[in-house]
Amino acid sequence: MSSKPSVDRAAPAARFPRDMVIGFCTVVLCAVAYWITLSFADAPAAVAQNVQPATFPRLVISVIAVLAVALMVISFRKDSRPGKSVPAMVAMTASMMLAFVVAFEALGFILAMALFCFFMPVIWGERRWHAVIPFAVLFPGAIYMLFVLGLGVHFDTGILGF
Amino acid sequence: MDAFLTALAAFSDPYLIAVILIGTIGGVLVGAMPGLSSTMATALLLPFTLTMDPIPAISLLSALYCAGTFGGSITAILVNAPGAPPAAATAFDGYPLAQNGKAGMALGMAAVSSVIGGIFSVVVLIVAAPLLSRVAYNFGPPEYFALSLFGLSMLATISGESALKNLIGGAFGVLLATIGMDFTTGVDRFTFGYWELSEGIHFIPVMIGLFAGCEFLTQASKLKEGRVRAIFDAVKLPGWADFKRCFGTICRSCGIGSFIGLLPAEGGTVAAMIGYNEAKRWAKDKSQFGKGDLRGIAGPEAANNAATGAAMVPTLALGIPGSATTAIILGALLAHGLRPGPHLFTETPTLLYAIFLSMLIANFAFAAFGFLGAKLFARVTLIPTEFLWPAVFVLASIGAYAMDQSIMDVWIMVLAGLFGFVLKRYGFSAAPIIMGLILGELVENSLKQSLIIFDHNWFHFLERPIVVTFLVLTLASMIWPLVTLFRTKRQERKAANAAQN
Repeated sequence: MSSKPSVDRAAPAARFPRDMVIGFCTVVLCAVAYWITLSFADAPAAVAQNVQPATFPRLVISVIAVLAVALMVISFRKDSRPGKSVPAMVAMTASMMLAFVVAFEALGFILAMALFCFFMPVIWGERRWHAVIPFAVLFPGAIYMLFVLGLGVHFDTGILGF
Repeated sequence: MDAFLTALAAFSDPYLIAVILIGTIGGVLVGAMPGLSSTMATALLLPFTLTMDPIPAISLLSALYCAGTFGGSITAILVNAPGAPPAAATAFDGYPLAQNGKAGMALGMAAVSSVIGGIFSVVVLIVAAPLLSRVAYNFGPPEYFALSLFGLSMLATISGESALKNLIGGAFGVLLATIGMDFTTGVDRFTFGYWELSEGIHFIPVMIGLFAGCEFLTQASKLKEGRVRAIFDAVKLPGWADFKRCFGTICRSCGIGSFIGLLPAEGGTVAAMIGYNEAKRWAKDKSQFGKGDLRGIAGPEAANNAATGAAMVPTLALGIPGSATTAIILGALLAHGLRPGPHLFTETPTLLYAIFLSMLIANFAFAAFGFLGAKLFARVTLIPTEFLWPAVFVLASIGAYAMDQSIMDVWIMVLAGLFGFVLKRYGFSAAPIIMGLILGELVENSLKQSLIIFDHNWFHFLERPIVVTFLVLTLASMIWPLVTLFRTKRQERKAANAAQN
């Protein structure tokens, strides 16, 4: 798996100040969050005591929006250089994180952990099998002993029955 | 006095002493490992402490916190890679000393100044926390609202790329805290039909994700970077003359660190930087700073350790975290069903004394470990990244899962990690989000109660002197970064004009 820097995808940030883009995205997110608050049910006046469930979130959203606009305004006065591109390895690692949780649910914790402990070092470039294989076996084993047998943490049974 | 004696009696239990020593060794180890910090370690450990009694649980986390702050200095000195952000300033003079074959001297000075700073801060904690809690007895919902607002506004002044981004992060944390059922009305908010979210997002998985998950991805982006190996020679320790020369710096840094630590949201990193700058400013001969001056180690180390105990003062007395790690300790107190604030001092004084004592023991213990095992602890940097970080991620997943044994918490942890990585890339820090998430409930509830008390007249806030004081401080802390920015720009402009002329 190559981790060479990919083509620079931060070009738009060079055209617009980076913080302006961040501020704009934040304002858009605030608009979406505000729109979601419109779907909150209204509570009876006697219960709500004039503070409806949406009141406080809307107040916080407004504060974030004001701060984001301030960030956009200040960004005009700052130099903005394109940021470094994210190595492909980060995307691969992020996918492995998500795959681990899926495997956690589907295969069971022990198997998911063993697979993760085997593939993650390999993906990161480790080729010393005499270290990788014991790590993939012993580390999950140690975790099982400590947390399941020692601390009594319950994990749902996986497809292999453990 | 009875509470103190009960706490002291608790320390006759070898189990408690063992827990503190394990916390101390663990703290030094994680502190020494670049990327792993005491904040992350406390976040990872917190779910597992829930099965323990409150005294050993909080003592363990407190010991880890104290030792982790010191541990960062070991790798800062030996390999120029600060194990934790508060140790960054220590590397300025520590690494040149190590390169000159004086690693032992640098480590010795770091250990001594850290332990003096740490013990001083525990004394500050013992004196200031009860006093502050007595003041806090007069606090009602409006005062708590103004205080939590002040705590959040202080995020503007903590280190990071931008004050505004810290504030946005803090406010975003508060917004995250609104997810789930509104306890006044019973109405679900931002749950999108998932009943698991009705109880809200617990801060522990978010915290673990933002620190451990995010760092896992950061390490993935740095795999190509070369590894620095420690220098294992030169064990000559500092002599009495060296301590005498650094004594003034240590005393000054104790004061600076304690003051910075007392302020909500500020922590060891800011204290260390100021401690270093002041050590340099007060020195008659500044020529050796940056090249290997022992005062350049004593200043930041005494300051960042002095900030640890002091940061516990607002955490315990007011329920407002003094730093990112104390935010997690605050979370631990809440998770154990304890109420941080003035009531803690009347309801569970034994626990408080136990915290004080465990921090004292941890300070002495890390000094001993620092002297005896620094070279051994520095070896943690030799653990291959390819094994260390996958292991940390697995532990993070268990930590997130173990609390409620819910897979939803693991999803939240992973998503928080991914989100945290994106935020970090765009200049946001994790600490403000955590602070906002922890303080969110207090902010909302105190505001709602205040509005009900004031019959929805906001001007009544201005009739209460403590509220007005906090609001003025809030305004000042928000304006201060702008003033600093303006002054820096003006100085830069002047310098540019001078260069042109």
